[in-house]
Amino acid sequence: MEKYLYTALFAPLVSSLFVALFASRPKMLFTGVIASILIAISMVSSFVLLIDVNTHGALHVNMMDWIVAGNLYIPFGFVVDEVSVIMMVTVTLVSTVVHIYSIGYMDHDKSFNRFFSYLSAFVFSMMILVMSDNFVGLFIGWEGVGLCSWLLIGFWYHKHSASWAANEAFIMNRIADLGMLMGLFLIYWNVGSLQYEEVFATLKDLDSVVVATIGIFLFIGAMGKSAQFPLHTWLADAMEGPTPVSALIHAATMVTAGVYLVIRCGELYSMIPDVGFAIASLGAFVALFAASMALVNNDLKRIIAYSTLSQLGYMFVAAGLGAYWIALFHLMTHAFFKSLLFLGAGNVMHAMHDELNIKKMGGLYGSMKATAILMSVASVALAGIYPLAGFFSKDKILEVAFNEGAYFLWFALFIGAGLTAFYSFRLVMLVFFGEKEYIKHGFHPHEAQPFVIYALLPLGLLAVIAGWFEHQFEGFTTRLLARYEIHISHGIEIVLIGATLCIAVGGIAFAIYKYQRGGFSKTWEEGFFYKLLSNQYYIPKVYELYIMRPFTMLSQFVWQKIDMKVVDFTVDSIARTIYKTGEKSRKMQSGNLSDMLRWMVVGMVVLLVLALFYRPMA
Amino acid sequence: MITLTHYLILTGLLFAIGLVGVMRRTNLLMLFFSTEILLNAVNIGFVAVSKYYGDFTGQMFAFFIIAVAASEVAVGLGLLILWYKRNGSVDLNSLQMMKG
Amino acid sequence: MEHILSLLVFFPAVAGLLGFLVAKESIRAYGISVSVIEFCLSLILWIGFDSANAGYQFVEYYAFIPSYGMSYYLGVDGISLFLVILSTFITMIALIGLSIEKDIKNLIISVLFLEMTMVGVFLILDVIWFYAFWELSLVPMLYIIGGWGGERRMYAAIKFFLYTFAGSVLMLVGILYMGFLYYEATGIWSFALPDWYLLQVPFKAQLWLFGAFFLGFAIKVPMFPFHTWLPYAHGQAPTIGSVILAAVLLKMGSYGFVRFSLPLFPDATVYFLIPVAIICIIMVIYAAMIAYAQEDMKQVIAYSSISHMGIVILGTFAMNAEGITGSIFLMLSHGIVSGALFMLVGVIYDRRHTKMIRDFGGLAQVMPNFATVYGIMLMASVGLPLTVGFVGEFLSLVGFYRISWILTLLAGTGIILGAVYMLVLYKKSFFGQVVHEENRSLKDLNAKELSALIPLVLLVAILGIYPKPLLSTIDMSVQKMLVLMDQKAIEPATKELIMKANSIGGTH
Repeated sequence: MEKYLYTALFAPLVSSLFVALFASRPKMLFTGVIASILIAISMVSSFVLLIDVNTHGALHVNMMDWIVAGNLYIPFGFVVDEVSVIMMVTVTLVSTVVHIYSIGYMDHDKSFNRFFSYLSAFVFSMMILVMSDNFVGLFIGWEGVGLCSWLLIGFWYHKHSASWAANEAFIMNRIADLGMLMGLFLIYWNVGSLQYEEVFATLKDLDSVVVATIGIFLFIGAMGKSAQFPLHTWLADAMEGPTPVSALIHAATMVTAGVYLVIRCGELYSMIPDVGFAIASLGAFVALFAASMALVNNDLKRIIAYSTLSQLGYMFVAAGLGAYWIALFHLMTHAFFKSLLFLGAGNVMHAMHDELNIKKMGGLYGSMKATAILMSVASVALAGIYPLAGFFSKDKILEVAFNEGAYFLWFALFIGAGLTAFYSFRLVMLVFFGEKEYIKHGFHPHEAQPFVIYALLPLGLLAVIAGWFEHQFEGFTTRLLARYEIHISHGIEIVLIGATLCIAVGGIAFAIYKYQRGGFSKTWEEGFFYKLLSNQYYIPKVYELYIMRPFTMLSQFVWQKIDMKVVDFTVDSIARTIYKTGEKSRKMQSGNLSDMLRWMVVGMVVLLVLALFYRPMA
Repeated sequence: MITLTHYLILTGLLFAIGLVGVMRRTNLLMLFFSTEILLNAVNIGFVAVSKYYGDFTGQMFAFFIIAVAASEVAVGLGLLILWYKRNGSVDLNSLQMMKG
Repeated sequence: MEHILSLLVFFPAVAGLLGFLVAKESIRAYGISVSVIEFCLSLILWIGFDSANAGYQFVEYYAFIPSYGMSYYLGVDGISLFLVILSTFITMIALIGLSIEKDIKNLIISVLFLEMTMVGVFLILDVIWFYAFWELSLVPMLYIIGGWGGERRMYAAIKFFLYTFAGSVLMLVGILYMGFLYYEATGIWSFALPDWYLLQVPFKAQLWLFGAFFLGFAIKVPMFPFHTWLPYAHGQAPTIGSVILAAVLLKMGSYGFVRFSLPLFPDATVYFLIPVAIICIIMVIYAAMIAYAQEDMKQVIAYSSISHMGIVILGTFAMNAEGITGSIFLMLSHGIVSGALFMLVGVIYDRRHTKMIRDFGGLAQVMPNFATVYGIMLMASVGLPLTVGFVGEFLSLVGFYRISWILTLLAGTGIILGAVYMLVLYKKSFFGQVVHEENRSLKDLNAKELSALIPLVLLVAILGIYPKPLLSTIDMSVQKMLVLMDQKAIEPATKELIMKANSIGGTH
């Protein structure tokens, strides 16, 4: 089975390196095809491993040593167990679809080859992240996906906004990575190892404060990658990247790495329920907070990005409350329907010549039936309508919140479900139905190439059926993850499900009702709330004004005032003093013998006086 | 009774005279004289102390100094004459080639 | 093999002398071949090196002035081995990438002499000789900056010379005092470092000696607030000078800490640990902020060197194998990466005769290969895993975490600020549209530049993925040194700290 493991892991790397050879050449179709085939091979291997893990249990290999110094020992070790194999399957599946899709999407781009090289490199990093058997290996993947995300967000680097967003994403993630590194250091000095197995085996002997600190530090890392408040601003800006990138990295896989980390460290977090509850609270807050921003945004991709943010909040609620398998389940289903939604949005963008404002679309159903249906399916799944995938996973999270007695969290998520349904269908309505606004702006939309649509079908199918395997999924993953018992009586459970379904359907119905009649009136847009939401609560502005600008100013000050005017000036003054002393005392050397003799006498007197008064210590 | 103290006072006086001469005079010849006075002041001191302790090292030193001074004057005066022939003056202020 | 160290030290100098006889047209080929031979010699040294032996190997000892204990004493161990290889490697790469035409003969001969002094500093075990090589290294560098530098080259060269010279004079006083202490304790004179290692210096004397050596090393590193010579030196030096200065000469200072300060004065090291660590943190953050504010591409990298050297010194003062091994590895990786970055700046300077960031923009479109290599080096500089930069940085910070978590957190902001100034630099120079017409016709890397840069890129990747052969060799000698420090320590607090720094467990 090891060969499947290595195939799954290294096929994307081979793809990336091979395609990189042609990176600076003009478009060559075969690069995309070969990359897609290699990723598909990785996917097949992952499925083989899934079956194998199901029958034979986890697989653990130690490829080679990496860092060895002092007591520290870090190998390149990989583990394929119930959690990582689920991640692998999800990642490779979505990646394969995105690769094939990109052949069509990037068709006219002059950096076609480069794109596939980056995209495959991302898949490789993500595989390292999920397969590694130690924290530092995870960190390799963690930073690797960060790098690929930087490369891909800034893929159209000639655009200022793209390269700015890329840097923002990288730097925000770095802030969180520092937290994560601190967590790793703390683990190392308390456990003496960074292997998952050894760390989790030793945890129970550790002081609870230490465990809690580790948990907090690791979660800070997760907050960056999963764009949780207050490090969330990069995700929306990351939409500057090509749409397949948004689908793969900023919806399905990379941003869920934080959730994966919390799930992977479930044993740790279950020891510190207080920290877990804090995570869940933050998650619930973000679920609502992000959904509220999605309500008013007019940018097609940003709406979906906020929705991703909101769904990540849901996942953190589950993970924080100890329902790890449910978090993983939602992670997986979300990957399917959210990437589908993004890829559909990509089709729309192509049809509309990269126009993103949904107010300028409308009525696209006529010209893009397949895309419209797929996106509607994804939206229904996202809204959590029975029997689509989102229903099963999202509803479980609400049940968990209720079960834990965290009624406030439950209520937040409940409201969030309604908002989700509303904004999803606001988007569908504004893009595909209603008035054909695009005609006014002179667009001639057309459906994407057939193979692109076919590539999306598997995702469409999964968005529908993935939820039906809930029990198999639970059985499979809880071999490794903690079981989660729900103690709510059957009756209340039915009521809860009913209530959630009602608010979701209500949200959809309200959206359809409203936007069939041309949406809200203009006066809404003057209101305080609308402005607050459409400016993202002014958070980016606050960051700009109170962090970036002061930092730039302070840097200038430190350089020009402190370094030049104080430190360097002091050094130069010392030199200048010595120089000036020489310049002044030069006059002593007048060349006149009388003067010299006088100086000699002075010197002699000084020496005599010294000889008289100075007594060396006995 | 003339004691060691008297000799040393004489030495001091002579030395002071020599020192003032060295510092004040600008004529090179006068400088030579002053130097000689300085040397001889020291010589007197040496001989007096030597007599007082009954140790001949001091007197030996005095002879040594006389010998050195003589040769020094010989060379010095030679150079002085050369300088006079070239410049027509033995004034110190004309000798400022080492100005820094 | 028994004289390989002498050969390594003096071959470049002799070859440099012979270089005066070589015709001007063939001097470049001559210089490159000498440096290649030297590099191969250092590789032979590595092959012959017994990595199971933590002590000095290939030792050469001749009594030089026996009555004063001065000897010609060479030896190599895990700590110095790779620094020697780094020196020969960087010299070779710098000569391959050399693009200066003016007075090239004198330049190459200076570089070869410089190579002798660098290799000498790392290999010599007699302290007087060490001092001689240390000071001699200033002369060719002074000449390189003053002869081939930019507009204010004289100011920069003299500042560099006098500043570092002033520091090392104090070190000389320390050396003499230490020799005197050895004489007092044993009745014989010796300036051999291994002899000194065996001497327990009284605590008070340790403090003074530590201070004297510290100044010499700190100015060389350079540590805040003694760093201001560096931006001028880099700003004015020709590319080859900057490459060697950043890659190797700065490492002489940090090597000095590992070789002298720690094992000779363990108690003083522990006594001054926190103040030194605070200086390091100031270096990391302060230099990173200044780097962010720079308008000149080369200055950004110059200040980033200061920032990275802060982490190096922090790792050295971690007092455990992880930290010290990490800091030595970080010296190597910083040598490779900063050397490469300075070469890259040189590449663009040769084409545009400017280093100002505002004169660039959109370079990724006209020079894709250049942008790629630059990007790789940038990622190595910010310490991305699987590049060479991560290993050393990670180990240094891991090591120091045991001493103080809060200081490590502060030093860790370096990885954020490093990303800030590097990415902003990259964005301003490489991304965006081509705004200056002159940039539109720039040529991408040529064969000569590629042949200098590709080895560096390969090293960045290889050492990032498989650093173990280096780490295990370094680690062995470092552990031996730590044992020595523990044995020599006088104060119980020192023993306790070394004990704590090297053990797992306990709350933080």
